[in-house]
Amino acid sequence: MTRRDLLSKTGMGFGLTALAPLLAENLTDPLAPKQPHFAPRAKRVLHLFMNGGPSHVDTFDPKPALKKYAGQPLPFTFRTERRTGAAFPSPFEFKPHGQSGIEISEVWPKLAEMADELCVIRSMKSEIPNHEPSLMLMNCGEVRQVRPSMGSWLTYGLGTENKNLPGFVVLCPNGLPVQGTENWRSAFLPGVYQGTRIDTAQTDIEKLIENIKPKFATLKDQRRQLDLLSQLNRRHLAERGGEDQLLESRIQSFEMAYRMQMEAEEAFDIAREPESVRKLYGEGLQARQLLIARRLLERGVRMVQIWSGAGQPWDHHDDVAGNVRRLANTFDQPIAALLKDMKQSGLLDETLIVWGGEFGRTPTVELPDNGANSGMNNGRDHNPYGFSMWVAGGGIRKGYVHGATDEFGFAAVEKVVHVHDLHATLLHLLGFDHTRFTFRYAGRDFRLTDVAGNVVKELIA
Amino acid sequence: MIRQRLSFLIAILAASAIQAAPPDFAREVRPILSDACFHCHGPDPATRMMGLRLDLKDAAFTPRKTGAPIVPGDAKASLVYQRIAHENPTRRMPPASSHKTLTPKQIATIKAWIDAGAPWKEHWAFVPPSKPKPPAVINAAWPKTPIDRFILAALEKQGLTPAPPADRRTLARRLSLDITGLPPSPQDVEAFVRDLSPNAYEKLIDKFMASPRWGEHRGRYWLDAARYADTHGLHIDNFREMWPYRDWVIRAFNRNQPFHQFTIEQLAGDLLPEPTMDQLIATGFQRCNVTTNEGGVIPEEVAAMYAKDRADTTGAVFLGLTVGCATCHDHKFDPITQKDFYSLTAFYRNTIQDPLDGNISDTPPVIVVPRDEDRPRWQQLSEHETRLIARRETVRKASLPDFGRWLDGDARRKLASPLEPADELLALNPGALTVRNQPKPFPDSEGLKTGPAHLPEIRALYFAEKSQLELENFAAFEAIRPFTVSAWIYVPKKSDNYTIVSQLDPQSRGRGLALELNGRTPALKLTTQPNKTFTIRAGPLDRLQPERWYHLAASYDGTRRLPGIDFYIDGKLIAAEGRNDRTPLPGDFKTYAPLRIASDGRGRFFNGGALADLRILTRAVTPEEVNLLRAWPVIESARTKDTKTLTEAEREAFHAWYLHREYSNFMNVSDEIRAVREERRDIAFRGAVTHVQQERTDQKPFAHVLYRGAYDQLRDKVEPAAPSALPPMPEGLPRNRLGLAQWLVSDSNPLTARVTVNRFWQEVFGTGLVRTSEDFGSQGQPPVHPELLDWLAVDFRENNWDVKRFFKQIFLSAAYRQSAAATPLKLEKDPENLLLSRGPRFRMDAEVVRDSALAVSGLLNPRIGGASVKPYQPDGLWETVAMPVSDTRFYVRDAGDKLYRRSMYTFWKRSAPPASMDIFNAPSRENCTVRRERTNTPLQALVTLNDVQFFEAARALAQAALSEAATLDKQLDHMTTRVLARLFDLKERAVIKKAHADFLAQYKANPAQAKDAINVGESAPDPTLDPAQLAALTMVANSILNLDEAVNK
Repeated sequence: MTRRDLLSKTGMGFGLTALAPLLAENLTDPLAPKQPHFAPRAKRVLHLFMNGGPSHVDTFDPKPALKKYAGQPLPFTFRTERRTGAAFPSPFEFKPHGQSGIEISEVWPKLAEMADELCVIRSMKSEIPNHEPSLMLMNCGEVRQVRPSMGSWLTYGLGTENKNLPGFVVLCPNGLPVQGTENWRSAFLPGVYQGTRIDTAQTDIEKLIENIKPKFATLKDQRRQLDLLSQLNRRHLAERGGEDQLLESRIQSFEMAYRMQMEAEEAFDIAREPESVRKLYGEGLQARQLLIARRLLERGVRMVQIWSGAGQPWDHHDDVAGNVRRLANTFDQPIAALLKDMKQSGLLDETLIVWGGEFGRTPTVELPDNGANSGMNNGRDHNPYGFSMWVAGGGIRKGYVHGATDEFGFAAVEKVVHVHDLHATLLHLLGFDHTRFTFRYAGRDFRLTDVAGNVVKELIA
Repeated sequence: MIRQRLSFLIAILAASAIQAAPPDFAREVRPILSDACFHCHGPDPATRMMGLRLDLKDAAFTPRKTGAPIVPGDAKASLVYQRIAHENPTRRMPPASSHKTLTPKQIATIKAWIDAGAPWKEHWAFVPPSKPKPPAVINAAWPKTPIDRFILAALEKQGLTPAPPADRRTLARRLSLDITGLPPSPQDVEAFVRDLSPNAYEKLIDKFMASPRWGEHRGRYWLDAARYADTHGLHIDNFREMWPYRDWVIRAFNRNQPFHQFTIEQLAGDLLPEPTMDQLIATGFQRCNVTTNEGGVIPEEVAAMYAKDRADTTGAVFLGLTVGCATCHDHKFDPITQKDFYSLTAFYRNTIQDPLDGNISDTPPVIVVPRDEDRPRWQQLSEHETRLIARRETVRKASLPDFGRWLDGDARRKLASPLEPADELLALNPGALTVRNQPKPFPDSEGLKTGPAHLPEIRALYFAEKSQLELENFAAFEAIRPFTVSAWIYVPKKSDNYTIVSQLDPQSRGRGLALELNGRTPALKLTTQPNKTFTIRAGPLDRLQPERWYHLAASYDGTRRLPGIDFYIDGKLIAAEGRNDRTPLPGDFKTYAPLRIASDGRGRFFNGGALADLRILTRAVTPEEVNLLRAWPVIESARTKDTKTLTEAEREAFHAWYLHREYSNFMNVSDEIRAVREERRDIAFRGAVTHVQQERTDQKPFAHVLYRGAYDQLRDKVEPAAPSALPPMPEGLPRNRLGLAQWLVSDSNPLTARVTVNRFWQEVFGTGLVRTSEDFGSQGQPPVHPELLDWLAVDFRENNWDVKRFFKQIFLSAAYRQSAAATPLKLEKDPENLLLSRGPRFRMDAEVVRDSALAVSGLLNPRIGGASVKPYQPDGLWETVAMPVSDTRFYVRDAGDKLYRRSMYTFWKRSAPPASMDIFNAPSRENCTVRRERTNTPLQALVTLNDVQFFEAARALAQAALSEAATLDKQLDHMTTRVLARLFDLKERAVIKKAHADFLAQYKANPAQAKDAINVGESAPDPTLDPAQLAALTMVANSILNLDEAVNK
């Protein structure tokens, strides 16, 4: 009898056994902290999503060969969204940094000082040269069908350590990225695991979280009201024999709501940081986003996802030289500060920080076309065949470069890491066997990694 | 002997130890038999050979002359195995003529299965239910209905006793919430408490069921299953006018439409003989799926997606099967093959619906739904129009003698124009241009040639590369003036996009009008000032073929509204898209830019195309007149021919001209018809539009198996069919949606009745007898009470699928009437109340929570049906998710009593469902949902505590109590009888009074805070009441509304 037969005979698919305790807990409080499959190396995730697809050959993947071929067609090429032409060498210089000697582009002067904290993956691979499916793959592990996002999976699997705050918080200023809320959807997982998106362009707490403040009563009056409610509910509970989990959890939920009214405001208020810390992070929107993220993470939020901005800021079909430098500049100091800050406090040891976009860009120049980059000859097209990401934090191999793209940076060729592999590895560090971390829906078990993914052992310290 | 037997046993044991478990019949064996054998040895008698069936156990095991087809435990003795493994290819089954072969592995599977004893087990849900006898029980006094005997027998088995009956107030509240979705009025509760007649309880059920709230409440559940919403769902997520379908659902439940008819009308109302308007509206069920119009999407892919959604929905709602699992491969667990899945989609792919929704509110096919008060007149007019058309036909025939004389006369030789010359703005033919009946010099154009047209005698204008005609100095089109453009056109092959006629002003962002071919589909584009472009285009089935002549006409009635535009191809009025927006055009498209023939002035031409008899008229012509315009070249070429030599077509053309222009009897009837049509148009204008389903008539339903579900990986072509593991569709049923619907509700279908009664059960008890109400397959949960489920299903079907009767039967049961209180023993043995050891109690759905607050406070607007409303919602919720061009980007809150409609009427934008309902687990309505999650979160508490809607309701409730009663006790009574259907006891009163005194002191000391607490929402507080008193009682009311008891059933 095969394992499969055994499972089907006993009426169980993979995973149902594994997650039975999780499900049982869910009945009472879906956000209660839960233990993963095995001892985790990290407890939380901060995903810095460079939406639009940052150019790897201008940031973390130096390709001197492009200089040799400058202006000439490459010996091979791949089909991307639009037509591209000759080799387009990076306008930026790369230099080795730190003891590890990781080569990093000049656009990241401050981040480069933290090179020894980074694990740079230069052999990332996605599937389709369009934003929408690639965003879905990076966030939900599937290009077409409706699947839960990684943050939803994590809050489902681990609960949250701070019940005064949502377990999965998404920070995106001034609107939504391409594909909108689908990037942090819970799909068939219970709605409580959906990402709570906060518009970090807003500084007003009441717009950040609905009904978070009692508008018609003072907190003092509301406390009095909740006491009354609690007394009446407890009387009702006693009449019902004293045992009613749902009633108990309702009483708790009101208390939690009350607490959220106080803590959420505090958590999002970076003015409470000492000036030295604020100085370290610097000025601007990204500095504020990253500082909010750190405050949320240290308060036990399970996953924070930061987006560069609405739309697709890193989609540089033209003026790579100007755009990459400009955008990197908004992130360079805040990210370096965050790494330093979190390392100092020890938070970095139990947090995974992931940096990257939905794909990379072509090493060849995008040919000018009507519309998008008309008249320009200085941009790069989408490239899912090979790109770079980096990870830092708990359990990750520090100061390490993994894999490589070809001579020109078009396609990943060495130790290729598919998005599914990255997911599998992150889940592993968080204590999950990605093949057993499942949810039963519409007749089958689903996972973040679908039916693929391998843990990349070399990425693990 | 003994030794022999022993060794035999050992051999068996050894064999079974080596061999894995026998192949699973349902999953592994049946699909092989089904695929390779059932065609000739299966359910279909028409193709059955040798009278042998292998789809039924008895038939397959019964010995025949030559042996038994299957001898359990002995494959070698089984005819089936002998024949599939036969050495002689001519004897081997399946025969070569069937083009089917079995792989060695499949043959081995069959052998292993037979050798293992041929365990023939069907999944329970596929075995047709029979009506079991209710079991015997010990406590014979308890059961009130057959249902109770099933429940009690199981409880007794577990050593449990039923809970005592709930008190009358609790029962009244439970019943009211289950039947109407609203708490009962204190009067109803009191009357019931005092009614000592033996059938008091039944009378209360009947009273609640007679309320139209019944249809709203039952309908609300159905709308989750139907995935009803007010936007298209994907990408731009624009408004979709669909609410008449919601009204239909409410009406259907209120008139207690039997569920089988309810099913048939929604799946195939359009295919019923002479369908009524309601039956067409019902087909909106199939149009509730999410659609898209995203640029760059591939129509075939989207069409495949819609068909999949409809098949998935059919699976979940009627069959309780996750058929979608078979999109990419055969279902892993249930006997649903990939072929089965695509055979199911075939029913839904034969639609005239364009895969792209056009971002418009009325993506065809749609129908006009007149206002209720207009409906009789609408019907009358439609009948009148039919009569008039018949009369016109009589008149036409009667005209023949007069026509004959006219034809012989001289008048016809002098005919100069198809319609009144006074109505003609422009006429263009090779070498001849007249504007307002004045001949004009023919404008110069390089590359213009004359050539043959659709008639040998007629010449046409041919446009070479980038050639065009430019006519200056007059405005041909204006928003307040009617017009008609008519021409014969020749469609070239070169590309798909052409401009035929245009008058566009480059100085004002292209303001003006253009008649174009977009993707060879005729389209009329209006660009107004302020800048907005409206495109009215023919449907996908009206794509023109290249290298052919067509007559094209577009008319506009000058009413500044898009429905005033009609499109004709070859004289036939076509269902154009994009013309149902009834709001007045925001500006005008009039311009004095040059009128261009065969160019839009912006680089788009009619390269290689040709035109003949182009006419622009200054009025909107009738369909009949369009035919006259179409026929005019025939008349022109035959004008001077001798009567005897006229062809039939020529005679007909003359006849048409004669009738329209000379024969007053005919002209009078035509005028009457025009008047009727105008009135119908006015009624349509006032009414609504709803999306319906419409079958293609030019082909039979089919689909292709899509390899791995990819729209472009077409494999075998399949016909519509029921899933092969279920009883086949009877011979007599049509192979279309109607047949599918009839099959779903046929007596032989083992699933539909079970799945339906289970969902109804779930509505009342919170959990179905099968917990996974969407999945009755082998991966779903088996039923808790299989016999009860079967009994209910058969009983429902036997009683004509009577929904009200079914629910009443549940409400009458002793099981339903139990108190909800648990005991430690029950919590241990029946923790989730699956055995019903106590009455149902659970947190009410989002809509019921909000509706209850509105009802008890007196704010509820009782209006039933109609367009969706936009109640309170935090600012900016839509903006953050909507695309900039979406017409549902900004949430414009309604005012006045629209704020207080029942929640089922709240506008449902799929990409941003109503936030306060979303928090209470309402689905997004992007997919069919037959079971909601029921979470319990702090965010819910924030809504009921702080949300303006709930706080306003608390204020209104307190205000009513203060106005009505003088003492705090009486005020509390006012509130609790409404919210909880009971009075507080002394201890509760003591707790409340203490809190109330604190609130009152607080508000008396802080008048500003009192003002904050009572000035909530749009309704104003009663100025005659003391603000501190009102504020204090408002806080108490808010607490009562937030009680666990208040949000639970």
